[in-house]
Amino acid sequence: MATTTATINIGSDILSNSTTISNTMTISKSANPSVGLDETTGLRTKKFTTTTDAVIVEADELTSSGGAEAHKVYIRNASTNKANFFYVSYNASTADATTTEPIGKLYGGDWMLMPYNGGTNISVASSTASETQYLEYMVFADGIVAAKG
Amino acid sequence: MATTTATVSISSSDLMPGSPLNISASSTLMKTGITTGMELMEMGNHSIATGTEFALSLAKGDVNGAHWLYIANTSTDSTYYIEWGYHDTMIGPLYSGDWMFVPWNNAVADDSEIEVEAKIGTNTFEYAIFKGGSWTLATAGA
Repeated sequence: MATTTATINIGSDILSNSTTISNTMTISKSANPSVGLDETTGLRTKKFTTTTDAVIVEADELTSSGGAEAHKVYIRNASTNKANFFYVSYNASTADATTTEPIGKLYGGDWMLMPYNGGTNISVASSTASETQYLEYMVFADGIVAAKG
Repeated sequence: MATTTATVSISSSDLMPGSPLNISASSTLMKTGITTGMELMEMGNHSIATGTEFALSLAKGDVNGAHWLYIANTSTDSTYYIEWGYHDTMIGPLYSGDWMFVPWNNAVADDSEIEVEAKIGTNTFEYAIFKGGSWTLATAGA
């Protein structure tokens, strides 16, 4: 068993009274919430020089049965230019603005952390071929298929 | 212009033995126009019974919006969880005590509607939506 914690802090002055959100979770197994996740795909970095779609999380590498698996996916656009972004989709192979289940866009420096059931791939696509973009990502796995990974 | 920043820290001393994990990231959330900060937000706290679906906010056809969504499952029973997803496609379970933070494109009309469904137990959760584009007020919940 491993102990992995994730803390988020959001601060905003959209409202006249400032808004602060702060929360910490311990990333745990679905079958036994008192036990931490002990598998990961590792932290990866991928370079994109084209707008070609790419699968960054292969669903068939992760256990999935009934949608209860408590995988977590962390993704960050490691580029600095806010003008460019990545489409991120819960889709077998494609990612763009109109793909079925487009999750959203990660501009330069943006990050996301989401629970993931391993039912379908996570696909991405860079918005630009004229500037190299880098994506960092990591899966905290609630089970990796024995013959994969 | 408002400024909204989101930071994350992920750490583990034993997930990868011999290689302590320390991830830190911070981002200033911008509207689709890139140079303007978020100007609209919505927060809420709800309780939904097992099998009940709840639409956090209805899709407005806000093509290519750059919105952000935060959800925290504040239930205290560790076996309770909700599933989140787009329209009828569920993407993952959010167990009690867990939080998530994702960008939201909201580009495909009804298919972009974010829903949560309580799978086990009556779950309480809180959410915040930071809205990066034009928005039409509507009643959340369905």
